[in-house]
Amino acid sequence: MHYDPLMRLLLVEDEIDIQRFLRTSLEEAGYQVEAAGDGKTAEQLAVDGQFDILIVDLGLPDQDGISLILKLRQLGLRAPVLILSARRSVDDRVRGLEQGGDDYLTKPFALAELLARLRNLLKRNSPSGAEATRLQVLDLELDLLRREATRSGQLLQLTTQEFVLLEYLCRNAGRVVTRSMILDKVWGMRIQPDTNVVDVHIYRLRGKVDGQGQKPLIRTLRGVGYVLKDR
Amino acid sequence: MSSKTARPILHSAAWRISLWATLAFACGTMLVFAFLHRFVAGDIQRRSDAWLSGEVEVLGDVAERTPKDALHDRVVGEVAELAGKEVPNRDPSANSSNDSVFFLQTGGNGSLTLWVGAGSGEPYLKAIQATRIIPHRPADIHVQGLAIPFRVASIQIDDGSYIYLGLSERDELRVLRNLGQRFFLFWLLLVLFGFGIVFITTWRMLTHVREIAEAASRIGHSDLNARVPTTKGNDEVSHLALTLNRMLDRIESSIHQLHTITDSLAHDLRSPLTAIRGKLEMSLSAVTQVEHAEPIVSAIEELDRLTDFLNKSLDVAEAKADALRLNRVPVDLDELLRIMIDLYEPSMSEKGLQIRLKSGGPLRIEADEALIHRMIANLFDNELKHLPAACTVNIQLKAENKGASLILEDDGPGFDPQVLPHLFERRVKGKESSGHGLGLAFVDAVARAHGGAVSAGNRDCGGAQIAVTLPLAALDQGSAAIHSAHGGQAIFRRGIP
Repeated sequence: MHYDPLMRLLLVEDEIDIQRFLRTSLEEAGYQVEAAGDGKTAEQLAVDGQFDILIVDLGLPDQDGISLILKLRQLGLRAPVLILSARRSVDDRVRGLEQGGDDYLTKPFALAELLARLRNLLKRNSPSGAEATRLQVLDLELDLLRREATRSGQLLQLTTQEFVLLEYLCRNAGRVVTRSMILDKVWGMRIQPDTNVVDVHIYRLRGKVDGQGQKPLIRTLRGVGYVLKDR
Repeated sequence: MSSKTARPILHSAAWRISLWATLAFACGTMLVFAFLHRFVAGDIQRRSDAWLSGEVEVLGDVAERTPKDALHDRVVGEVAELAGKEVPNRDPSANSSNDSVFFLQTGGNGSLTLWVGAGSGEPYLKAIQATRIIPHRPADIHVQGLAIPFRVASIQIDDGSYIYLGLSERDELRVLRNLGQRFFLFWLLLVLFGFGIVFITTWRMLTHVREIAEAASRIGHSDLNARVPTTKGNDEVSHLALTLNRMLDRIESSIHQLHTITDSLAHDLRSPLTAIRGKLEMSLSAVTQVEHAEPIVSAIEELDRLTDFLNKSLDVAEAKADALRLNRVPVDLDELLRIMIDLYEPSMSEKGLQIRLKSGGPLRIEADEALIHRMIANLFDNELKHLPAACTVNIQLKAENKGASLILEDDGPGFDPQVLPHLFERRVKGKESSGHGLGLAFVDAVARAHGGAVSAGNRDCGGAQIAVTLPLAALDQGSAAIHSAHGGQAIFRRGIP
């Protein structure tokens, strides 16, 4: 699941346990990770090294995470920041940073979501060409202009919502998406239903996409989320 | 003050207070003026009596000394006429013909011997005889045919005849009437002036009290930083404002403490939860056999439920303490419900449930989007979890007096009657419920944090009903009226694809 081996990431997190598992997972995902346990170390590292992206926890022992980000911005830092927060409510200052192009994630989070948000931040910050009008994953093709999906040339009868869901899975083909990511991106709400609402949507979509005799594309990873296989 | 004059003045406390104060003031000043008037009237009477007594004395003297010859009557008459020119309180503009004074002399037998005055002396004599007049003590007589009484002084001279000098009270009454009119005008002005002063003072003071009340009602719903306006004075009202502000300081610091506690609790629990979840996910990715993955997967799922429980508990706790932090943005409830139905409909039809929405069109409120989303998801989860197959959920959204009303009705078994009175308390759930018993407590907490309310009960015809009311956005009340006026209710029903 390697993304881009050259991406340099600065992880600012004081909890050793979290720092350790994040470092391992991020390195596995292809990032080159430098870690700092407090604001001061983070400042030095940020000034010395050229980072593509930062992960900053708000509760640092020596200073507030937001003050650190603002200070780094003053020092000329351009890289986007993913803010980790243990607070439930989002601070106005976090909201300000969010508008400035940064993102936040509340603890505890699913690793898949953290990785997805990092990818989004990097995508947002790198100038990309025109938006593709077609998506293709193996023999599944999506025409984004006509809102049509075909599997092995066969037109799939999808509802509007199912098309949006499939498009989201295709854009993240080969990568895990969690239920809360689907709720956020497809339905636009950050909720945690304790019922199987998302599973039923996926189940129905799978019934249409993975027909009889075809190789199943949509896979469920229990406890984690779903993945649309790309190989 | 201009914004508050819309409230009818007649209903204000300032008006009532001023009315009563003015009534007391008017009665008091009325007594004072009446006393003054009496005093002046008495004084005028005394002066005219003194004049009458003096003049009658002089006339008696003249009548006594003048020899009783042909000239006697003429001399006495002239003197009497002269005296009449010096009448006190005489109206200077009155014509020269003098009818305000008369002079009358009777003989020993009581017959009229000398008359100086206007008209005939007979009616005067009759009136004098009808009123017994004691010499040297002036008294009032009422002459037939004349409206105004005469004040008459008398004296007996040596030859046994009586001399009477009468003075019409016309001038005296005119002076008193003038005085009375002036007093009345002055009294009226004084009362009006007093009313004005009392009204303005109480109005201003009560306006301040009203401002305090308005500010106090705003505080708590929106922000705790605000304080009620204070004045420079050292009176009860400024004392009230100061006391309120001190109370708000204390409340704010308690709420701040609560936030600190919940935040640090959240932080203390979240960090280990994050670490545990991360480790579980890492070990899950290392597992190749499905049977080994199962316990890890269920551990992650348990962990997510625990996180959800933690979030809801803290929200409910904060909302109960009126300390839920809201980030209000415009939310269209109609659109939100359609998206929610879109999201929940497959799960519901999977279970054999139907869901219908009856809505009058877009209905925007100012609310915390994330909380409202979670609140409605909770209501839907609740239906999904507790309804048996083949039931229908009817959702009704409408605007009603300055609020949005959201009603969920189903034709299921309804709430357990034992649980019903405690539905919105934490950790209350039906016997067969698998949830953590926070669902409806959370719905109630969110609705109340937004200034709304929730009620739940069983319908007469069976099934449960939950009604949520949320206040509309202050800016959007106009469109609420349109919403209810149109009322054309589109029935939104999603079939099974």
